[in-house]
Amino acid sequence: MSKKKSAVWSFFSSVKLAVFLLALIAIIAVIGTLVPQREGAAELARHMSPGLFFFLQKMQVFDLYHSIWFFLLMGFLALNLIFCSLDRLPFAWHRFRRKPSPGDEDVFRDLPAENIIITEQDQNSAAAIAASLMKKRFNCLKQQEVKNAVVFCADKGRFSHLGVYIVHLSILVFIAGAVIGSIFGLEGYVSIIEGEKVQTINLRNSDTMLPLPFSVRCDRFVLESYNDGTPKTYRSDLAFLKGEQIVHHGKLLVNHPLTFEGFRFYQASYGLAPDGRAVLTVMKDGWKTMHKTVGLGDVFDLPGKEGQVHVLRVEGNLMKMGPAVKLSVRTDKSETAFWVFAQIDKIREMNPQIMNQLPMFNPGLFRPYFFVLTSMDKKYYTGLQVSRDPGTPVVGAAAVLMISGLFLIIFMPARQMWVRIEREGKNTRIMIAGRSYKNKPGLAREMNYVTGKLKQKLEKVR
Amino acid sequence: MINTIILSWVTFVYFAAFVFYLFLMIIGRTFWGKIATATALTGLIAQTAALIIRWRESYELGFGHIPLANFYESLIFFAWAIILFYLVFEWRTKSKSIGAFVIPIAFLAMAYASIAPGVNNRIQPLIPALQSNWLTSHVVTCFMGYAAFTFAFCCALIFFLKNREKKNTMKSAVLLEKLPSLATIDILIYRGIALGFIFLTIGIMTGSVWAHYAWGSYWSWDPKETWSLITWIIYAILLHSRYVQGWRGKRIALLSIIGFASVLFTYFGVNYLPGLHSYLQL
Repeated sequence: MSKKKSAVWSFFSSVKLAVFLLALIAIIAVIGTLVPQREGAAELARHMSPGLFFFLQKMQVFDLYHSIWFFLLMGFLALNLIFCSLDRLPFAWHRFRRKPSPGDEDVFRDLPAENIIITEQDQNSAAAIAASLMKKRFNCLKQQEVKNAVVFCADKGRFSHLGVYIVHLSILVFIAGAVIGSIFGLEGYVSIIEGEKVQTINLRNSDTMLPLPFSVRCDRFVLESYNDGTPKTYRSDLAFLKGEQIVHHGKLLVNHPLTFEGFRFYQASYGLAPDGRAVLTVMKDGWKTMHKTVGLGDVFDLPGKEGQVHVLRVEGNLMKMGPAVKLSVRTDKSETAFWVFAQIDKIREMNPQIMNQLPMFNPGLFRPYFFVLTSMDKKYYTGLQVSRDPGTPVVGAAAVLMISGLFLIIFMPARQMWVRIEREGKNTRIMIAGRSYKNKPGLAREMNYVTGKLKQKLEKVR
Repeated sequence: MINTIILSWVTFVYFAAFVFYLFLMIIGRTFWGKIATATALTGLIAQTAALIIRWRESYELGFGHIPLANFYESLIFFAWAIILFYLVFEWRTKSKSIGAFVIPIAFLAMAYASIAPGVNNRIQPLIPALQSNWLTSHVVTCFMGYAAFTFAFCCALIFFLKNREKKNTMKSAVLLEKLPSLATIDILIYRGIALGFIFLTIGIMTGSVWAHYAWGSYWSWDPKETWSLITWIIYAILLHSRYVQGWRGKRIALLSIIGFASVLFTYFGVNYLPGLHSYLQL
């Protein structure tokens, strides 16, 4: 029984498995960037036999990052990480706990000659200099007198031994954060026309609508452009309402989301709303007879009751010739349809014959009336992304853990150092030794540096 | 504009530095080493000045922003980071022998920025998605990481050059004699990658924080995000193979070349895939 268990244990705690899993995850990630995913897959379906497409879809090839394969791999990686860490943590813990002792005499065995200094300084002042130097670069300085010598020892970077396990833990926390997000989080979108309010959002990747516990109104949408026409800012002024009461409001910009009751709103897109309103001036025999504000589908009577005007279309920018409305004047006998452009004078300047060629462009087609499009208020809709992800703080914590772990491993190597100062006839003999489990060249550099510094200071005192 | 003129001169200065490092390698006189370092340093100072001028010019145009906002500016910063990284290394180790391999990459990045068709070198206003404080920290950390990986890649090339030479002992051995020993190169590869890995990790994280504010999700499997993760995984595999399996030399050098290919794809190749990171498109 125990033998079988150890086989499972050694399988899951092997670094080879970790490397294999990581490589597999990388390969799946590569495929996911080459094969169109989710919405993009529809295009691919037209170039493929339906059977093959259906098979690939069933294998979740078009949603790899959310497929059962990917989740299984992540699960295995998590298990592997846990087993690997538990397998090796005791050694690291031992190294972490093992503080250097001045009694560790064997570190001075086989010491290279460059780490031994012979000086004419007396033992006590040499010891003082060595101690102050070690205090500057190391922690936990300890001292012990043996026979005719004094031994110092100190260490630093002990936490580096735990760095790997902090990074491993951080990956588990990452996975936990992602799982929390995928279970309890949601992602949706909604577009709101300026001045209107909504109470439901469309959930992404499904056809369902989600009712919100409040409603959102877009009071104003502002669009600013640079001189070259690229958008500079777009902003929605949002109000959050409970019933008819405004509970919260704020300005929503790209990069500056708004949060209300756990839902975060992001400025994602914008566009012209289909139902702008136009102000028409109606002239009869050259005289202004009435002003009328109209929207799509509106119907009104002419001032002399000659007929009814139907608003067929309202366009913010028709064929790049500016705002226009299409009207149809209906009488008992006839129906006359034509366009009314706001910039009719400009259009006529460019093409003086246009009214004759295209009677549809003549705003005076229904005599004796003449229509003028005085103004049009453009109405925007704002496209909002809505999300709720309770896993985000967990992922944030994982990020902090990972960075601190990596810093410990790479920038704060664990090193221990001993200095032994003994009398040798008239002179004093100083030996410098060190220990490090990883990064031996780094240790050698540090020891050479300390030796050099010590030599310098001993010279100076003399 | 004056900054682009300076930057195109800097391109030639880096080429000159490369030639001087080659002279040092072939002729071996320390004189050439001094000239080479001085030239590279001159280039770096001029480039830094040009970047500051470009920054100021963007304010004069009325939409001031740090020059890290389009493909041209990213290439320039990439070259700057490579030179900075290399000169710090040279100053710390007093070793000039690998300059002939690292400097040309910076030169190529600069040359590509000014020659490649469609790379727009004008200062452009920031679109709303890029108007964020995270722009600077994200781009700087990512490109410092790329520069460190580039350094490791150059060392890996040297490794294979030397390793091949060791086998057929004879010719041109003199040329490679001055290069560091295989064991030293192995350590250099490792150190470049360790530093790059930290920068890449921070770069991905600052990018995630930014995405959290701009796109509504800290991770959306956008191709650039995905490829940065792939790069991260390749280097993570390398570090584990070295730390735990004890791999050294050839295998590590090979992995670091694969990792660098992934870096290049993350930087250039991804632009040909559809995604959210469209700011760098040509």
